Order: sequence, then structure tokens, then C-alpha cells
Amino acid sequence: MKKSATVVMLFLCLGLSVPAQQIPAIKLADLEGNVFNTGQFNDTKGRPVVLAFWATWCIPCINELSIINDKYESWKKEADFEFYAISEDDSRTIKRVQPMVNGKNWDFNVLLDKNQDLKRELNLLNIPYTLIVKDGKIIYRHAGYVTGDEEVLFKAVKDNQ
Amino acid sequence: MKKLFVFLLIFIAAGAKAQLSGGFESNSSYYVDDSKIKLEQIEAQNRLRSNSYLRLDYKYKHFTTGIQLESYVPKALLNYSPNLKEAGLGSYYVNYKNDSIGLDITAGHFYEQFGSGLVLRTWEDRQLGIANSIAGGRVKYAPFKSVQITALYGKQRNGLGFDFTAGSVFGLNTEFELSTLFKARKISYGLGLSYVNRNEKTDFNALPPSTFLTSIRGNVKKGGFTADAEYAFKSKDALVEFGNVRPELQFDGSAYLLNIGYSRKGLGINTSFRRLENFAAYSQRNLSGNVFNEGFVNYIPSLTKQYDYSLGNIYVYPAQSNLSFEPDRNKAGEIGGQLDVIYQFKKNTPLGGKYGTNVSINFAQWHGLKGIYDAAQRKYEADLLGFSEKYYRELSLEVRKKWNPKLASVFTYLNQYYNTRFVEEAVGEVNANTVIVENTLKVGKANSIRWELQHQWADGGFKNWAASQLEFNLKSNWSFFAIDLYNYGNDNANKKIHYYNIGLAYKQGAARVQANYGRQRGGLICVGGVCRFVPESAGLNLGVNLVF
Repeated sequence: MKKSATVVMLFLCLGLSVPAQQIPAIKLADLEGNVFNTGQFNDTKGRPVVLAFWATWCIPCINELSIINDKYESWKKEADFEFYAISEDDSRTIKRVQPMVNGKNWDFNVLLDKNQDLKRELNLLNIPYTLIVKDGKIIYRHAGYVTGDEEVLFKAVKDNQ
Repeated sequence: MKKLFVFLLIFIAAGAKAQLSGGFESNSSYYVDDSKIKLEQIEAQNRLRSNSYLRLDYKYKHFTTGIQLESYVPKALLNYSPNLKEAGLGSYYVNYKNDSIGLDITAGHFYEQFGSGLVLRTWEDRQLGIANSIAGGRVKYAPFKSVQITALYGKQRNGLGFDFTAGSVFGLNTEFELSTLFKARKISYGLGLSYVNRNEKTDFNALPPSTFLTSIRGNVKKGGFTADAEYAFKSKDALVEFGNVRPELQFDGSAYLLNIGYSRKGLGINTSFRRLENFAAYSQRNLSGNVFNEGFVNYIPSLTKQYDYSLGNIYVYPAQSNLSFEPDRNKAGEIGGQLDVIYQFKKNTPLGGKYGTNVSINFAQWHGLKGIYDAAQRKYEADLLGFSEKYYRELSLEVRKKWNPKLASVFTYLNQYYNTRFVEEAVGEVNANTVIVENTLKVGKANSIRWELQHQWADGGFKNWAASQLEFNLKSNWSFFAIDLYNYGNDNANKKIHYYNIGLAYKQGAARVQANYGRQRGGLICVGGVCRFVPESAGLNLGVNLVF
């Protein structure tokens, strides 16, 4: 235990002067089967990028994405941003992702984090979880979803134009 | 440990531009005895229990190193594996990743999945107590954009970071994006091949130490159509009965998986078919069928719909992949499938109303493998396409409707057949009908009320349940909730229990704190078709998590 405690101390000391967390570069698949490297979220060319972590079996996630989808068109007119819905479905439910995205008429980019590599490296414990990334920095985080959270999210998008 | 220090020192020497990130999670319970629910005597010595995790990752240029510290002090929460005890390093790794040369190398603990996970998956699920990472080495190499090769070797974690199962695991995986390679347009197709070898030496001469699993799979996608198929094979391994390895009885196994889907705007359809025969794989033979989900090499989820609602999780079907002999209850695997249809009624139509209506239908049915079984001789021969006893069937309908800008509802109907005799290897069967209504009302700009009403009619098992949940959310930071699950139909008068819970949660950015007091229903907690049994309990629970 002593050793582990020393390691922790060492890590914490190192952490004091380092910049905020970036998005780890992980290869995910999109719905077309193409490889998408999440490292590209670290170069967003001044635009905020929203990452919404969800799964087909997660009711609050579906509530969140359905409401955002209703507002997506008008949001796009008001602000310049990108939106990625990152599915945490594993092989039990991953085949439901595309039928659900199409069946619900969602217009977002969708990525598949099939063994939760990105979620794990970002230390996200539960979904829904939303992040905003801008130029290599995570500038907004929100765990969970309740009605009205989407307005807070969109305000953060507008504030970071 | 020493190696870890050396790496850390290198990073310190390297200095600037490095970054630290991490996360902390702690879940604690103080268990009490109330009028209906009491801790078992042996558990009552430790009423305060806690599981905590601190993960730290440190990145410098192409290198990342990290550790996860875990604490189960004074004792792990009820019914976690006894191997999760005390405190110490849970996992540790050093990784070098350079996308420009297509190389990704890890030493230490790593998580990996080959294809759908049928032959190899290691992952972490703290709620289920699963952390079966492999500790050793892994190299991923992409010589071209369309080819990815992974090779790995190591021992599987079981307990804390220096506790391993008896066997070692070697794996080789290749993924070919053929359509990219051949520059195909408007169609995409790929191929995957895997080989996994589990090596565990035993004292039995008749039993070779190695068992291998292979998988070949392909996928094709054109327009709205998708299809993929997988065949996997497991070489002969000893039958394990109640933790006893039987070297004289060796069986091989197989898995067939087929998915076909079609979707366009407003409509999504997916069908799955799967046949499993003796396909569970463990990195230590005598862990076969263990209740703590330890030593899994592969991932065999049940292909049924996963529910978030409490009464949707009373009768959960876990995939039946094990081989077991018992007169009148021989099991060699499962065969069946499921169908999903999702449809959106457009806005401003009779069924769509002003905001549109979304409908999801799911049907799933699973059977045992038909064949000739001889339980006394421990022999069987299963048909390729034969259905024997029905293990599980479900039909569900979910309708989502937004009434106005303030009010939205979700209606769910679920019809289930659950064969307790085969699934739980107990007695009886259950037919259950469940109705769930969820309403969310927005109050003002940032507050909301959520209300769930659930009822289950069942002719067996626990019989009837009623449940309700009320939740107030204030300014997206505070939540207050009250839940009651009432098993009013239970045949045993002492089991007609209100499983109530009251609690609150506060969240701010990346931090969340939750406290609740009440009763936990005993039974299976399932995530992704893998389940952990929890005994019923009462008490105060506190959860904290923080990301940085």
C-alpha cells in the first residue's frame, strides 16, 4: 500500500502544472463502417464539438437525443458547431444502433465505441454524458440528463463560438 | 512496481506538455436490519462496506501510462467476489501509440475485443464486479489503412492487479476492410479472422493444456441494407461439473451468428439469429459457470432487448451457452433469434400528431438445442437446426409521444415467457405481462418532474408487482427521487415487501454525489446480458464520482 500511495502522490504532483485533458486518439467505427480517429477532436478549428455518449437501452439518453434532434435544425441556424452521438452499445445491442438512428430520424454523426475504450479512457462512469471539446480542450462536461439540460448544453455551445 | 517508477521518472525528466487525467468513483453502503429484511449472520459482521476506484492516466507525446487503484475496505459491497478484497493496484499499463506509423503497443493490463467478442473480450464493469483485463503485452499494427492486426499474450486478472487465473491467453486478430482495399464504391464489405488459445496445465495426462477458439466473420453494407455473419469454433476441452474438471469427458463447441438489417429515414429493421453449442470459455477451467463472472475469455450476451425499467428486469434471460447433463434437463446451448422494428409516424399525420410518434417493437425467442442426450453416459448429439424446450420468449412494444413542448410520455408493454426450470435450473415457469408508463413534465425553464408507473401480472415466480417512481429535477443540478416496488402478489406473505428507496443526487460539471436510503430487491443485476446475483438488503448508500 505504501508504494501505491507514493505513486499516487507522484501522479498528483505531476498533475498540478499540466494542461486540461484532451480527447484520446481511439479508432471507432462510424455507421458506414469507416474508421474514425477521435484524435481529430483535438483540432476543431475554433468550433465547439459536442460529444454525447448514449446507448440504445438507456432511456434518459434516448430522451436527450430525441429532444436535441427536434431542436437540431434551429440550433444549427443559430450556432456553428458539430455534434457526435457516441454509442456505448456492446455486441448485445450494437445491431440496434443503426435501425434506431434511422427509425428515429436522427441527423447526427454516430460513432460506435463497441468495447467502451473511449468511455474508459475519458473516465466516464455512466451514460448519458455530454462533453464539449474545442481546440483540444474539454470545455464543458455534464453527467446524466434531465429535461432542460439540453438548453444548458446549447448555451455553452453558443458561448464558445 | 519498479518498472512503473522508471517510466514515471522518464516522464518527469521529459517535463512539459504532458497531461494528467483521471477519475474517482466510490460506492459505500451501511446495511441495516429492518422489520422485513435482515443481513445474513455471516455478513452482519461488516455493516459498512465500500468499493472505490481511482484511475490516473498520464500522457506525454506518444506515451501514456496509467494505474487504477482499488479499495474494498473494510469489505466489498454485498456479493462481490471474495477475491476483491483489501486495497491496492487494480491495473497498470504503459502504452505507445503512433498513428502515423500505425503502431499501438501496450505492456501491462489491457482491454480488448475481437469482432463481436464471441472468442475474446476483456472489459470492466464495476457494477457487475467484472474486471477481466489481460496483463501482458499487446501489439496492434495497421500496415495499411484497411488492415489491422492485433497480437496479445498474458494472464487474466482475477481479483486485484497481481492476481491472475491459472491459464494464459494468446490471441491473434486481423480485420480487413476489403472495400477500402479494392476501392469499391457505394458498397462496403470486410472480413475478420481471430484465433485465441487458452493454455492451462493440469495434472491430468489425458487433458491437453491448450484449448483454442477461432472465428471467421464477414460483413456487407449497401444502401440501407446491412448483413453480417460469423462462425466460431472451440476445440475440445474437459467438461466441468460443479467446479470439478472431468478430463475423461471432452467436448468441442461452436457458434453461428447472423444479422440482417434494413433502414431508411423513419424506419429501422434488424433481425438476428444465433446458435450456440458448448461455447463458454474460461481462462481457468474450474471457474466454468462460476457465479461471480470470473475468468471469462469470451463475451456471450443474451440477444434480447435490454430494459432500463425495474419491472422489465425481474425475469432477465441470460444466454445459455454451457453444456450440462441432468436427466430431463440436459443443456448443450441455445438457438433462437430476435426481430426489431422501429418506425416514426411523421408529424402532422393522424397517428403522428403535431410532434410525430415513435414506435419500437421487439420479438425474441430462444430454445434449447434439439438432439439425443444420454445424461448417464455424458453423451449427446445435437441437431444443427433443431429447437427443443422453449427457454424464453418476449414481445415488447414501446411508444414515445410528445404531447406539447412541456409534456412527453413513453408507454411500454412487455409480454414474457420465462422457463425457470431450464434458465435457473430450478422449478416452474412464468408468463408475465408488464405495462409501464413514464411521463416527463417540464416546469419553468430548467426544472422537471418525471413519473413512472409500472405493473406486472405474472402467473408464477414472484407473481404480481406494482411500482412507481417520482423524480424532481431542479436546475439540472439537484434531483430528488422516491421509488417503491411492491411485490403485493407474492404467495409468501413475508415476501409481500415494499422495496422503497428515497434519495437525492447533486451534480456539477464532472462531479456527482448521490445518497439514498431504502431496500434493494434481491435477484439478478444485469448489464449487457451478464448478471450478478445480489441478496436483498436494506440500508444507506452513498455514491461519489469525479472526473478530472
